[in-house]
This record gives sequence, structure tokens and C-alpha cells, in this order.
Amino acid sequence: MSSEPTLLSPGRGGYPPGLMDLEKPPPIYVRGAVPSGVCVAVVGTRRCTRYGLEIAGAIGRRIATAGWVTVSGLARGIDAAAHRGTVEAGGRGVAILGSGLDHLYPRENAPLAGQLVGLGGAVVSEYPAATPPDRWRFPARNRLIAAMSLAVVVVESKLAGGAQITAVLAAEMGRPVFAVPGDVGREASEGTNQLIRDGAIPIFGAEDLIAELSLLTGTAAASSPSADGDIPESGVDIEDLPTLWDCSVKEALARLGRLEIAGKVARSGDLVRPVTRYSA
Amino acid sequence: MYASVLSVALIGGDVRPVRVEAHVGGTTNSFKLSGLPDTALREAKDRVRAAIHSSGIEFPHRELTINLAPADLKKRGSDYDLPIAISILAADRLIRRLPRAVIVGELSLDGKVRRGGSSLGAAVMSARLGIPCLVSREHAAEVALVPGSEVHPIETLADAVALLSEGLGRMPMQPEPAAAENQVLPDMAEVRGQVLAKRALEIAAAGGHHILFHGPPGGGKTMLARRLPGILPLLDDASSIEAALIRANAGLGDVISPIPPFRAPHHTATRAALVGGGTGIPTPGEISLAHRGVLFLDELAEFPRSHLDALRQPLEEGRVLISRQGASQEFPARFQLVGATNPCPCGYWGDRRKPCRCPESARQRYRQRISGPMLDRFDIAVHVKRVDGDEYRSVDGESTEAVLRRVLSAREAQMARGALNRDLSDRDLTGLPISNIARVLLVQSLESGAITARGAVRIRRVAQTLADFEHSSVDDDHIAEALSLRGSW
Repeated sequence: MSSEPTLLSPGRGGYPPGLMDLEKPPPIYVRGAVPSGVCVAVVGTRRCTRYGLEIAGAIGRRIATAGWVTVSGLARGIDAAAHRGTVEAGGRGVAILGSGLDHLYPRENAPLAGQLVGLGGAVVSEYPAATPPDRWRFPARNRLIAAMSLAVVVVESKLAGGAQITAVLAAEMGRPVFAVPGDVGREASEGTNQLIRDGAIPIFGAEDLIAELSLLTGTAAASSPSADGDIPESGVDIEDLPTLWDCSVKEALARLGRLEIAGKVARSGDLVRPVTRYSA
Repeated sequence: MYASVLSVALIGGDVRPVRVEAHVGGTTNSFKLSGLPDTALREAKDRVRAAIHSSGIEFPHRELTINLAPADLKKRGSDYDLPIAISILAADRLIRRLPRAVIVGELSLDGKVRRGGSSLGAAVMSARLGIPCLVSREHAAEVALVPGSEVHPIETLADAVALLSEGLGRMPMQPEPAAAENQVLPDMAEVRGQVLAKRALEIAAAGGHHILFHGPPGGGKTMLARRLPGILPLLDDASSIEAALIRANAGLGDVISPIPPFRAPHHTATRAALVGGGTGIPTPGEISLAHRGVLFLDELAEFPRSHLDALRQPLEEGRVLISRQGASQEFPARFQLVGATNPCPCGYWGDRRKPCRCPESARQRYRQRISGPMLDRFDIAVHVKRVDGDEYRSVDGESTEAVLRRVLSAREAQMARGALNRDLSDRDLTGLPISNIARVLLVQSLESGAITARGAVRIRRVAQTLADFEHSSVDDDHIAEALSLRGSW
């Protein structure tokens, strides 16, 4: 971890747009750069099961291959497994800490943080570099995890775990919450099962999550998330799409198809128009 | 005394042997004809009698019985004149040793052999049985193209008698390339602009997909449709002969052409003209004439709905069954459907340069003239816009030849699978590889309401064709493009 952390104030270039949804967006210290794109939080308990580790890893990998960004808290267990999955797939991830950037906690995950930065991701904290890890700060960073992400996935969680807090904060901010169901009666699944009862969307695996998220983002998993088509309000002649997008007819049609699936454009005759709709 | 001669009957896209039997006996002067003959065939008696006289041969004034076997097969037309005459002469021992041969031809009263409709059938039967055939000289060169046939051209009845008496010693006809091979098809390069419609047409050609063009009048929907046969693979020998037999059966000549047929019946066509039928023995309709080729229905919404609904079974099964009292007749009808329609009664809905004057209700009614199940047959539906003077900004398109090359390449995988993509069922599709992301995209479009379950099958078919162009399996780009090829109207 050689590079010096930068301090980003709210609204500045590179400041994660999701954090602007917080009541008081804090300035943040960033090592690396927060990737632009769809962020998905994957969180869970430190005292997880092998089942939880496997699923968290698979989800981390799959989010990476979909071209999205994994957000977690670098903690032991589920958090680390999700980060590791992302790194394995060569994807981008963000670790949000409850301590200063000089105090990577737990120490064993310091190399993982380095890999995240190396792959174009970032390590983020709202505390000055020298702030030591203190238990009471961890719930506070959970609100950053929830805010930065488009959706939160809880893999395994105890009834009163930090992941539960993240899920509740996310729900309050209008972020959809996904939970992986587990055995009834097992401590590590009590929280997630409760979340499902309270209205979280159960997911049955990484692929399932991607399918659900694709609906939310309105883009196919592999396409660039920023593709809104740049279609002017007045509409554009379908024949002019290849020129507008500077691509072949074939590519233009595929892109048009995606925009249609996402409900972002409508067609009438030869005219393609953007669909403006309320977004949360 | 008895003799028999082999002739043929055209049934749908096939040929059946018909044995013309003659019996000469007794002393009373009579001429009977049995074996389900139609009017034209019943009149054969008079033509045969006159032709034999005119040829300088004495007509046996005795009790003549002619039977066309099998008796349950309905026969028609005048092509049995020559075999009837020959069988009479052989039964009367005027031709002594009759060689095995397939004989067809209409006789004129002066003994000339005229152009009839069964010459091609005779050549096909000749090839099938490995025996020579005798046909009118007018057709001989064309039908000699049937591989394995031995075609002897004849001009008169006397000519036929001489040829058969000397045991068919002459050299058979050498095939001449049909005029059709030099036929100039309209080229894709002549279509200016319309990049979307042209791409859609290419994809339709590659997967055999039924395609619907909608858009204002003057958009070149017909122009595009006419260019489809040129970008389809040529028919193989068996298929070109099958198509030619159907044409012959409908009385449209004997030309064998490897170019896929293109039929464009008008919306005022009767149901019988469209799907086959007619009074008496059923004749093939437009859908059978388009067998292995293209059926273009312009102004689709103007066709009576009952006619369109009659197309559903053939579209499903590739054949049409004409049910008649007593017997039913089946014709092949495996065609690629190209539909064209205005989007509304005035035609300008969706056109940006000219406003549509139709109330929404009128547009809905117009649209509903084409039933949902019918619309479902079209895997691809694209808007074809009006071409204005300013289309010159667009570069000229590729030639038919270049497009055909890609179509042929995309057909390779389909040939290996043994079916065109348009014929892939839901179950076939389950067996074909598709990437996970593509699957996700498909599920997503179902859930977002962009497509229906039935629509999903069509999208997968088209996506398969797109993948076949690249010799790969279906991925998300293919699904997305397939979806955009279903423009609503």
C-alpha cells in the first residue's frame, strides 16, 4: 500500500455518487480510485460457514464478470470471501473500512486490500489515516456501504449482526436487499432468513442475483452500465442509429434491443425515442 | 387383342405411373373410355380417332375399350391422347413389338403431338424407372435436364409409331441449359438506404424466417421482397424438379429452374387460388407454387382473414391438405412467407414526414385484420420507411452476391442440424447451447414485458441464426439484436 490516500469532498470528481444520498455526505479518504459503474454490496457475518464462504466467493466473481463493482467491508468471513472472489475474477471492488487507511483491519486481509487497489478498485474510509479500529465505528461505516451500492446482498448473518444493520440502512435508503436463505436454526442464517421474512428478495445463487440485478439496472450483465443510448428527446431515425453510435448496423440493433428490454427507449415506426421514467 | 402403354399423372409435387390399357375386339363399332377421366380426357376419343386417320393409318372400327389404371386415381387433361393412340395401334398389332417407354402428349386432329402439361412428369418417371420417354419436341430439351432421364422428342403420331417400331434406336435428346439459369434477378445493391430492412432480409434468408415488413406506401417493401430469392441458396436437383412438377401440375409450363420460386398473389385471389383446390380435381395453389421458395403477400391486412387463417396449417406442416368428398389431396407447401402491410388505413402511421390521419381505433381495427396466431408466424418484423430523394446520402448497399455468401455460410450449421432455424421448436431450442448472460437477458425481457413467452421462442430462433452467421453459440448480443428485429406497429 504505497500510494498516498486522497481526500475527496462530496460533489468533487471521483466522489461516489451513491454517497450523495446520505443526509450528510462525509468527505472520504480513498486509496486507489472508486470505480464508476454499478456497485453491489456483498456483506455478511464474520462467523460464517463454508457454505456462506462459497456463495460469497461465487457472487464476488460473478459481479466481477458482469462488469460491476463489488462493495464490502474487508472483514473476516463473508466480506473477505466476496472481495477475494472479485479479485480472482480480475474484477473491481471497493473495501470500506471502519478504521483509518493506515490501520487495515484485520491485518490478514491487508494483502487483499492491496490487490483490490491494484486491480483498479479502492479502499475507502471516512476517518483520518491514523484512526485505530474501534468496534463502535463499524456500524457507522455500514451506512457508507449501503449508500454507495445499488443493492445489498446479505449472504450469511446473525440476528444482531452488522450485516443486518447494513441491510436495514439500505432498505431505508430505497436500495433493494437480497438475502441468501440458509438452514433454519443455524445461527449464521438466522439473520438472512429473518430478512427474507421481512421482505428481502431471496436469491438462490450468483446467477440468480445477476438476473435480478439486470432487471434493476436495465442492462445486460455484460454490457457497459452507462449505455443509456444518448438518444435525444426528439427521437432519432432508426436508420441513423449506426451513425449516432458510430458502430455497425448489427451492433446498433443489438444495442437498441438492450435499450428496449431495459424499457429505456420506445419505437414507433422508424422513430426511436427515449423513455423518461421515474427512477428511485 | 390387348396392349398397354405407360403414362403418368401429376399429383401435387409428385408423379404417379398410369397404365393406359387398350382392348380391341368384337365387330361392333364402339369406343369406351374408363378410369375416372375428366371432360378433357373424355374428348380424347375424338382427337385420337381423327389423329390416327390424319396419319394415314386405318382406325380399327371395332369394339375399343380403353382403361386408365389405377382406376381410383383421378386423371385429367389431354396428355393421354398419344398413349391412348399408341395403345390402340399396339392392340391392333399395327405396332408389333412395343418397347417399354413412358409416353405423354396431346394430339391435334392432323396427327401432330402438341405441347402438354405432363412432359416433365414423363421425364421424371423415365429417370425413376430407367426407361425412355416420349414427349413433344417443344418440351424435350427442357425436360431432358432431369438427371437420369432418356427423352425422345417426337413431332407427330406417325413419328412416334416409327420410333417405337424401330425399338427406339435413335439418339435421345441432349439436355440444354434452361433459360431460367440466365434469368437476371434484381440485385440487393439497387436498394438504397434501408440498412435495417436489408439486414433483416439477410437474416430472414439465412434462417428461413418468415418476415413482415410494415411501413408507409412507397417504402420499397415489394422491392425488398423481390430480392429475397436471389439471396437464398439455389435449389438442388430434386427440389427444382419438385417445384417444376408443381408448376406443371398447375399448368404453368415445364421449366426446371434452380432459382427458388417467388409467388406474389394479389389480395383479391380466391381461397382456392391461394391454397389450392378448385372444382374437379384439385390443382395446387400459390402456396404450393411457392414451395421451396418465397410467398409474398403484399397488403397482408387486405387479404380476407379466412384466407390468411387457411395458411396456418401449411405454415406449420409444410404441406396443405385439400379435403374433398371421397378423397383428399395433399400438396407440398414449404415456403418462406414475406408479408407486407401498411401500419394503418392511410398508411402513414409512424412516418415522420407525413402525418397519419387515422383515429387510433381505426389503426387497431386495421391491425386486427391479421390474427394474432398469424402475426406469431413472423419471426422478424421490421419497419420499412419511405424513401425520399435525400436517400442519396446513404452509400449503396452490398450486392446480392456478397449477401448470398454470408447466407450460405450461416446455412452450414443448420444443414448439419438438419433443420432450418425457422422450424426449431421450443424443444429443439432447449438442446442448443446458449450463454448464461444470453439466458439472463431473455428472462429479463420476459419479465420486463418486452416479449411474451411465444415471442421468446421466436427471438431464440432468430438469435440462433445470428449465431450461425458467426459459427458460434447464442450470446447476449444475438438475443438483443433478435429482439430489436421485432419492431412494433
